[in-house]
Order: sequence, then structure tokens, then C-alpha cells
Amino acid sequence: MLAPAAGVILLSFFNWNLLSDGRFIGLANFARLFTDGRLLAVYGSTAYMAFAILAVNVTIGLLLAVLLETRMPRWLRGFFRLSFLFPFVVSSSAVALIWRFLLNKDLGLVNFWLGEWFDVGRIDWLGSSFWAPISVIIVSSWKTLGFSILVYIAGLQSIPNEIREAAIVDGTNAWQRFWRITLPLLSPTVFFLIVINTINAFQLFAEPRVLTTGGPGDASRTIVQYIYDTAFGSFDLGYASTIGITLLLVLIVLTAIQFRVSRRWTFYE
Amino acid sequence: MNSTLKRRALPRPSTIVTTVLTFAILAIAAVAIVAPFLWIFRGAISASDAELYELPPSPFPTEATLENFGKVFEQVPYGRFILNSLVVAGSITAAQLITCSTAGYAFARLSFPGRGVAFALVIGSLMIPLQVTIVPLFLVMSKLGLTNTLWALILPGVFSAFGIFLLRQHFLSLPRELEEAARIDGAGHVRTFFQVILPLSGPALATLGILTFTYWWNDLLMPLVMIRDVENQTLPVGLVLLAGRFSTGSLGTIAAGITLAIIPVLVVFIVAQRWIVQSIASSGLKL
Amino acid sequence: MNRTTRTIAAAALTAALTATALASCAPSSGSDSGEKTLNVVFWDYGPAAQTGNQATADAFMAANPDVEVSLTPVAGENWGTYYANVATLIASGEKPDLMLISGEGAEFIHANNLALPINDYLESDPDAAALVDDIAPGLIDGFTVDGDIVTLTNAWNNMVVYYNTDVFAAAGLEAPSADWTWDDFKATAAALSKDTNGDGTTDQYGFTWASNEIFPGIMPWVANAGGNLTSDDRCEATVDTPEVTKALEFLKGLIDEGIAPAPMPMSDVFTRFQNGSIAMFGAGRWPIGTFVPAGFTSFDIQLYPSDETYKTVFGGSGYPILQSSPNPDLAWEYQKFTVSPEIQEQYVGTPEAPGDSIPSLRSVASTISEVGVPPVSSDLFYSSIDDHDTLVPYPAPAKYSEFESTVLRNLQLIFAGETTIADGLTTLQGELDPIVACS
Repeated sequence: MLAPAAGVILLSFFNWNLLSDGRFIGLANFARLFTDGRLLAVYGSTAYMAFAILAVNVTIGLLLAVLLETRMPRWLRGFFRLSFLFPFVVSSSAVALIWRFLLNKDLGLVNFWLGEWFDVGRIDWLGSSFWAPISVIIVSSWKTLGFSILVYIAGLQSIPNEIREAAIVDGTNAWQRFWRITLPLLSPTVFFLIVINTINAFQLFAEPRVLTTGGPGDASRTIVQYIYDTAFGSFDLGYASTIGITLLLVLIVLTAIQFRVSRRWTFYE
Repeated sequence: MNSTLKRRALPRPSTIVTTVLTFAILAIAAVAIVAPFLWIFRGAISASDAELYELPPSPFPTEATLENFGKVFEQVPYGRFILNSLVVAGSITAAQLITCSTAGYAFARLSFPGRGVAFALVIGSLMIPLQVTIVPLFLVMSKLGLTNTLWALILPGVFSAFGIFLLRQHFLSLPRELEEAARIDGAGHVRTFFQVILPLSGPALATLGILTFTYWWNDLLMPLVMIRDVENQTLPVGLVLLAGRFSTGSLGTIAAGITLAIIPVLVVFIVAQRWIVQSIASSGLKL
Repeated sequence: MNRTTRTIAAAALTAALTATALASCAPSSGSDSGEKTLNVVFWDYGPAAQTGNQATADAFMAANPDVEVSLTPVAGENWGTYYANVATLIASGEKPDLMLISGEGAEFIHANNLALPINDYLESDPDAAALVDDIAPGLIDGFTVDGDIVTLTNAWNNMVVYYNTDVFAAAGLEAPSADWTWDDFKATAAALSKDTNGDGTTDQYGFTWASNEIFPGIMPWVANAGGNLTSDDRCEATVDTPEVTKALEFLKGLIDEGIAPAPMPMSDVFTRFQNGSIAMFGAGRWPIGTFVPAGFTSFDIQLYPSDETYKTVFGGSGYPILQSSPNPDLAWEYQKFTVSPEIQEQYVGTPEAPGDSIPSLRSVASTISEVGVPPVSSDLFYSSIDDHDTLVPYPAPAKYSEFESTVLRNLQLIFAGETTIADGLTTLQGELDPIVACS
């Protein structure tokens, strides 16, 4: 299945619109990367949203997973877990469609209730440069959080009880135990989630497309969306492939950095 | 197994305040996460679309009905879509578990010339998003005469950079001593792989399985491009068809469609999650 | 790498290369057993599209027993993704005889040499004169590019204002008249905007327009202000003009004064119009196909209000004959068949299941109100294009989807108030210059 990838690299040297004959144009598509004013803006929006989604998954996911591990009836734990997992199994475009109705500025439920309960003025969730990426972050995190929680729970349960009991004997409090024992022992899980969430978040597509169409301007546009628009909106297959190659390089570099850095902080038993 | 479950992993909240706070946070999070679905389910059994837009909405429909579900099957062959989606997502998941584990093992443990380069090449090429490779992919599939068949959806998913990467990292984390012990017992790579490595890889395989299944269960782009006949379409396209021209279809019908699409995956999850958590917990998840 | 993988790799490379020389590989879709075949590509947006096209194909085969029509449904969430998928199909070597396009696609397929112009057929076919006579000239002009007539229009939509008659009655307002002006319109819309649940904020709005399309969005306003987004030859963008500015100022004013909500996609408007939280919006005939089956009939239509001028903004669809067709004469018969009374009557529909576009034949369109298909003022659909100036050619350059997405992307910033109208239009003009340019 390397073939399509080879095709992509090949295409990046062509000017081709699917319908007419392709023209070999050498490195022109690559040169265009440097003059494309939108490319940087789109990468900026992508990175902002991707890292925010990553952060929400890693931190709030941990918080909820830790809370889920407190003593509670089995059915209640099952209920919470299932609730958190719910969005993960539904198609992105379907949930984005629903959120678009809910987040509508003047006639949406979210603003209505914010106004009723907290007397907040209407937020332009989908229309303003400030809020549109935040909406994408919220909806995407909402969707992936359940999976992160599941992985965290597993990580937490794999921590041997003896270690914690020894710490209790040593007279540490819960807070200390979390920072000195749980978190270090959980570091491989954290790292795993960082890698997965980075790759997923950088490939975000359906949510911004349905929610905000990437706007306003390019405020919530992701790079994959930009690639798709270039290929199938502008019918510029060559340049779309070229941008695709840049994304590939970015992902490889990010993953490599994560691995290198992780050696310093992940703790394996 | 049971003892792992009963173990309490975390500091017990010592005061009533922390307990209350804990449950308050969990409850709020659960409600916030589930709320949009309540709206969807309400829409699915509501006779009137307009009601969904009332501000504030009434919690129950004035007239409950199952008609919307009937309409789903009336308008599109939804049963067929569910079956197709199961076949596609199921086959891809099964295939990836095989291909990614063997490839991952090869990259982790076998030494052959150019391994580093090959690994970089595989990971790199497979990491290019589908939105970019889809045109070359379509051309390949049409050369092979496979467009408009489920094969066109399954074959491109057979390999996954993510999966190979995930499993390679997992295999690297396994202690080498185990394999060496197996080798001393006279086991070759194949036997070691099946009898030593795979049994230790339940959680990693499960994680890959879930991610793969849900991804392909929900993928819209591939069927949109590859499939023409309605009979060979999958659920996400079914939702687009229900949504109608420019998504102007009845919201009740769409909501019913979403509800129906959720149920099979949810069942899989309810069954699988306990096992997944246990198996990850018992052998750890390492990259 | 095993053999299969290597074969596939080789196939991919050749594919990527030979895709650049499409003509080389022609699949034999036709049979040579004396039976003639036609391959028709259509946009499969749902059950209605399938049954409609199947009915046309069946009727054609019934009338021409020696012809086999095969339909190729192509999926797509909108016209843009449909075109992309058809292009992919053609790139893979398929050679359909006809494909469904919308008016926005006329320049696109003409520029890519896909369509066979029908000028010669119109001259030589003895049936043509009577046919053309029964079709509004605007509909022919709308599909004419550089003198080439790309296709006959089988169905079309003009942009009209929909208003909820219940909301009008509750507000004690008369039905609007066809000669209303922008000022009348604004006063009406303002009277319809109110806080119905008493929480201190507006929750019923007078008007809104589609944020995700330009035809039911800003175009009628731009046209009536006397402007257009491109020059007549569609070779130059004309958005930084006083006319476009005026139209946007009017619309932005509606938002600022709380008469219109923040713009939303067309589909989000439909239900809100039905439950009365939006009193008026603009669209073609297609909402009727959603409203009436849902049991909602308390609405009527009126022309857009006039300003400097009045121009009917419309869009059509047609089945152009493709250059790749091995059987253009037969394809012409099929295209002609889509505008035969037999097929045109399907687009009228019934009072329970109305069609979602307007028939091209005047004689058939005039039966909509006789048949009793809502709304009451349905005659307005055809008279708007017969009796009024039309926006022809409409602003649909060859790179239409890039053009439209660029316009919409910049409009988002303008309507969200993040840039001034003047600055926003200057930026837009700059971005459109290379997109609209002709070679």
C-alpha cells in the first residue's frame, strides 16, 4: 500500500486538475509553499487546536480517570465510563452537525442556557475568530476524551498496590502520593496518549469542516481541510500533494521529538 | 483478575468534601458529555422537528413516535449499510491486527539490511492523510477493477502506519529475555511470535482494534469516492443520504439514523471495555 | 515486498503517470450487440435523486426500446464534492455520455473541454424551435459560455423570499407585495424580530440568509444593488465596487440591528423557519420538497425587494453531452427527453409530494398552481424569469468552487465584524483576481 504514497510524491511535481493532461513542473509546487500566505495561517490554527485538544485529553482525561477510581458502586462506575465513551463511537460529521445546531449563536441551546443560568451574553461560537477554534477544540476533545480516560484507567489499575501501601506506611498524604508515585508510574500512559492524540489532532478534518467550514477566514481551518479543498475544491492535485508532504514531515518530526524527549521523563518500571 | 478489579488504585478521599466534589465533577462531566445525545434521542422519537428548536426545549416530545426509525429504512437500505459497515470495519480491524503485528514485530526484532530506512519509509508513506492519497488510491482501485466494491474500502485499510508503529513500540518494550528463553527452547521467530509475544500483547492489540474499528466505522471519505451503488455504501454515507440535498432532510429521521448507527458500536464497547481495561492493566501499555 | 504488493505499486505508479494521458485507456462500457447504450452520471443526494433519474431512464428506454440506459450515481455532500467525484471518475478512464451539472458547473466543464455544445443540434433538429420557444431565454443564456450552449436546462431554481404566513399574521403584517423596496423589507423584518419568551434577548428574527452558499446568500442583494461579483465575461472579479459594498452594508446592518441572527448554513435555517424563529429567508424552490412532506404549509413566497434595480437570480441544472460520448446523437435525444413534457411533469410533483425545482417548460411550470402544489404564489417562479431582468451570466467562473469558498471565507470575517466591509472587500478582490482571471 505504499503505492498511493508514491503517487502523492510523484504528483507533487505535476500540475494536474484531474481532467486535463498533467504537466511536469519540477519544483514549482514546492516553491509555492513559501509564497502561500494561507499555509502558515492554516498551520498556526492547526497547531493551536491540535495542542489544545492534546492538552485537554491528557489533563482532563487524567483528572476524570483518577476521580473514576475512587470508591463507588460498580454500576455507577460503569455508568460514568459508558457516558464518557459515548461520543467516541459516533461519526464525526454526525456529531458535528448536532453541535452546529446547539452552538448556533442567536438561536442555539448552548447560548440560551448560558444566558438563562449565568446571564452570559451570546457567544459567537462558530462565527468569531476567537471562539470558532475553541468550539472545534471542545467538540473534538469531547469526542476523544472517553478513549483517553479508558487508557488512563488501565494505566492506573496497572500500578501495583504494594507501592502505594508502602507509601501510606511512610506517612505520605494523597496529594504527595499522586505526584510522587501515581504520576511517575503513569508516565508511559501519558506518553502513549500524547503520541496518539498528536497524530489524531493534526489530522482533524470532519469537525471543523461541518462546524465552522474552517472559518471565519482560516481561524479554525486544519491543514488536512486545506489539502482537501486544494485537491477537490481548486482541483490542484499537485499542490495538494505537496502540502500533504509537508504535513507528513511535520508529523514525523513531532513524533521523533516526542520520543527523544520522552526518554527523559517517562519512567519504566 | 478479580483482585485487580477490586484493587483501589488511588488515594481514598478522606473527607466528605472531597467525595462530594468528586461526584459533582464526575456527574457534571457525564451530563455535559451525554447531553447532546439526549437531544438526538429525543429528536429520534419526536413526531415534530420544529419542537427541537424551541427555546427552551421541552424535555419530552409532545407526541412520541417510532416513525422516524421506519422512515430511515424506507428511505435508504439502512440494514444493508449496517452490514456493509460491519464487514468493512470488521475485516480491516482483523487484517490490521495481523499485518501490523507481524510488520511491527519484524521492525522491532528482526534485523535485516536497511531496516531503519524501510521503517521510516513505511511509517512516512502511511502517515500521509487519506485526503491526500485518495486520488492515487482511486486510480489504483479502478485499474484493479475494484471500485464500487467493498474491496476498495477494505484493501486501503489493510496496513496502517499507526498500527505498525504502535505495535513495534509495544514489542520493543517487552523484555528480550523472554524471547531468548524461547529461542533456547528451540523456538524460531514464528513460534516465538505466536506463543510468547502475542499472548503478552492483548492490550496493545485491543487498543489498535478499537481505534481501527471506530475509525473505519465512521469514515465518510472513502465510500464517498470509491462506491457508486447504493447497495455497497456504508453507514456514514447513509447518514449523508438521509440528510438529503444540502442536509435539508428531516432532523428526526437523521437523529433516528444516528441512533441506529450508535447501537452496534456501543454494544461492542460495553462488551469489550471491561476486558480491555483488565488486559491493559495486567500487562501495561508501553511505547 | 511480495508479488501482489509489487504489482499494486507498479499499477499505482503507472496510474499516476498515465492519468496524465487519459485518452490512452478506454474501457469498453458499451456493448456492440446492436443495442445502443447511454451512460448517465447523476448526483446521488438521496432517494429522490435515484427515483427521479431512474424514472427518466425507464421512460426513455420505454420510448426507445433499442437503447439501454445505465445510470451512474455519484455521491457527494454538495455540488462541489459531486464534481470532484465525477472528475475522479473521468480521470480513471470512464467515459459517460451525459452528466448532470448545475449552472455553476457550466463554465467549469466548458473550460475543461468536457461538454459537447448543442448549438448544431438546436439548428438542425426540427423539434428544437418549438422546444426553445417554451423555455425562458434566461435559462438558455444561463448555460451559454462564449456562444456555446452547454446544455438545455431541465430544471431550475430562482431565488425568492420565503415568509412564514403564521408569523406575519401574528405580527399583524400584510403579505409583502412584489414591488417592495429594501426599506420596506427592512421595516417588515424589524417588525418581525422580537423577544417572545421575555428573557430580554431577541429569539425571533425577521430574516436570515445562507452562510454557506452565495446564490441564496448575498447574490440577490448584490444583483438588486446593480452589481455582480464578476464582470460579464467572468474574467474579472468585481467585488470592491460600490454596489457590492452597498449590499453588504445592508445585510450587516440587519445583523447589527438585531433583525437578522448571525448567518448560518442553509440547512440550519429550514427548521427554524418552520417553527417561526426565523420569519423570512431566501432560497429556490427546493425547501418546498422538505416543508410540505413535513406537514408545514403556512408559508408563501415573494420576489426579493428591489433597490437600484430588480434582477432575478437563478440557477439551473442540465445534462450536457460529454465530449467522451461515443453516441452524441443519442445523447442529444436523451437530453431533449429530459425537457419533454412527460419528464417535466415529474418536477411539478403533487400537493403531497412536490418537486424540488422548477420545470424548464413554461407550459408545464404554469400547471404548478393548477395542480395545487404549495405555495399559493407558485406562479411567481416562472414569471420571475419571463417578466423580469435576470442576472445573466451569473458569476460562476471556471474555478467556481474555489471562487465560492474564497468569497464565503471572507464574508465570514465581514459578517462577524472582524474586518470592515471596505477592508474585507479589498482583501477579497485581491484573492479573487488570480482565481477569476481568464487565460
